[in-house]
Amino acid sequence: MKTLNIGKQFSTDPIGRFRTDGDRSGETFREDYLKPAIESLESGEKLEVIIDDGIESYGSSFLSEGFAGMVKYGYITGDELLSKIEIKYSNEDFEFFKKKILEYIGKVKYNSKVYEPSKI
Amino acid sequence: MKKLSRKQRKIDVKIGLMHRQGRSKTKNGHNNNNGSGFSGSDVNNWINHYKYNGLNISLNNNRVTIILPERLNFFHDYESTVLHLNAIRKLTKNKAPSHKAYKLGSVNFDDLKSISTSAALVLTAELSKWDDAVRNRLKPKVENWDPNILFNFYELGFFDLFKNKPSNIEQLKSATTPNKRIVKYIKGKCGDDQKTRVLKENITNIIGDNINKWMFLHSGLSEAIVNVSHHAYPERLGLSEVDKNWYITGSYNTFTRELKVVFYDQGIGIPKSLPASDVWEKVLSFLSSLSIAERKRDEVLLKAAVELDRTSTGESDRGKGLQDLLEFIRQRGDGYLSILSLKGLFKLEVKNGIESIKSEHFNYPVCGTLIIWCVTV
Repeated sequence: MKTLNIGKQFSTDPIGRFRTDGDRSGETFREDYLKPAIESLESGEKLEVIIDDGIESYGSSFLSEGFAGMVKYGYITGDELLSKIEIKYSNEDFEFFKKKILEYIGKVKYNSKVYEPSKI
Repeated sequence: MKKLSRKQRKIDVKIGLMHRQGRSKTKNGHNNNNGSGFSGSDVNNWINHYKYNGLNISLNNNRVTIILPERLNFFHDYESTVLHLNAIRKLTKNKAPSHKAYKLGSVNFDDLKSISTSAALVLTAELSKWDDAVRNRLKPKVENWDPNILFNFYELGFFDLFKNKPSNIEQLKSATTPNKRIVKYIKGKCGDDQKTRVLKENITNIIGDNINKWMFLHSGLSEAIVNVSHHAYPERLGLSEVDKNWYITGSYNTFTRELKVVFYDQGIGIPKSLPASDVWEKVLSFLSSLSIAERKRDEVLLKAAVELDRTSTGESDRGKGLQDLLEFIRQRGDGYLSILSLKGLFKLEVKNGIESIKSEHFNYPVCGTLIIWCVTV
């Protein structure tokens, strides 16, 4: 099991959808952290994503771009992504954001858009 | 090229003179303002019309003094409040070179006896815009201000706006013990989201305790800031960076224990931003059962923008930010959220866990988007 601790490895203040919104955006998280972490998994291995370590909060634009973007741009199917990640938290309020992540991954259409970086 | 007749030449000269003197009028009697009339005439007409319809001003040649009413409050005195705030915006924006064009000379606070937190923030934002426009040359005259108003504005950080601060503020403010405490407002640019942490610290300081479920308010504020970056100040308007701001503040009534957090941007408003957004087709489909006239109403578009998020089918993952605004109130199970944008209001109220939604149309627009969270702590 590999671990991606958003607060420790990425930012305690994730915000925004695109890189143009800043370097703590969903696009940055997906492209530079989540996608490489998923791609590095061995067969049958899982990625534990810790979502509440020092994190203030999340906005929907970050969560949908950061997580559901993996499916939208055709990197992985929704089912496959859900089978590879485990969302972890100890603060009960973060249950809300876990549900949001699962909802966005479950709803988005696979490979429905071609990824064009918002900022080179 | 056709040679001009003597008669045509006389007409052209006369029109030219009228333009320069600011007297240009079309046949129907309206000032011609499409590049040939003096460009301040729209504002002059607006001011002249509303000074007989609720706007309290005095005129000295082309210098306008806006006299603020006794109460500024978006809920109990909406029309009067918006009229005075919009007059400041219109006059501040009036860059017409004509000597006939009305210009903002001063804003008189002497009659003002009470002001809501949201009205204080919008007023501060408008005056900040004016101060930016005149290169920080404004100086407030506070001698005749009501002491409570002075204290409110002092706490809000209003006087920090001005390089020319009045000298006797400390003396004047010490004479008051108001029920309402206001935290210093924060002015941010697109993407300046980390400033919300400062707001949290300031609010926690005046309440003396942490605010339960704050993370959901933080989430709403973050999305509001992202929305400002994406939609409020579109490139096509060619605005300079100095004009692309948002403002937040909070207040706490020690008597009623009511906490208000207010966010304001001076952008084009949510209803006007929708046609250029990714969700416009979904908005149209959402509103397809309504008449064309109804679909254009700001309150209808505003409600659609909020509701669409909730009912989204997953065809697109965009347009989800507005539901985040509601979550703080929902999580706390009590309180309200109001979104005022242009002529529309969307309000979610939760009482004892039961939700009600209100949508309302106003005759006068808020120039931008104003978001108010109110809970009892």
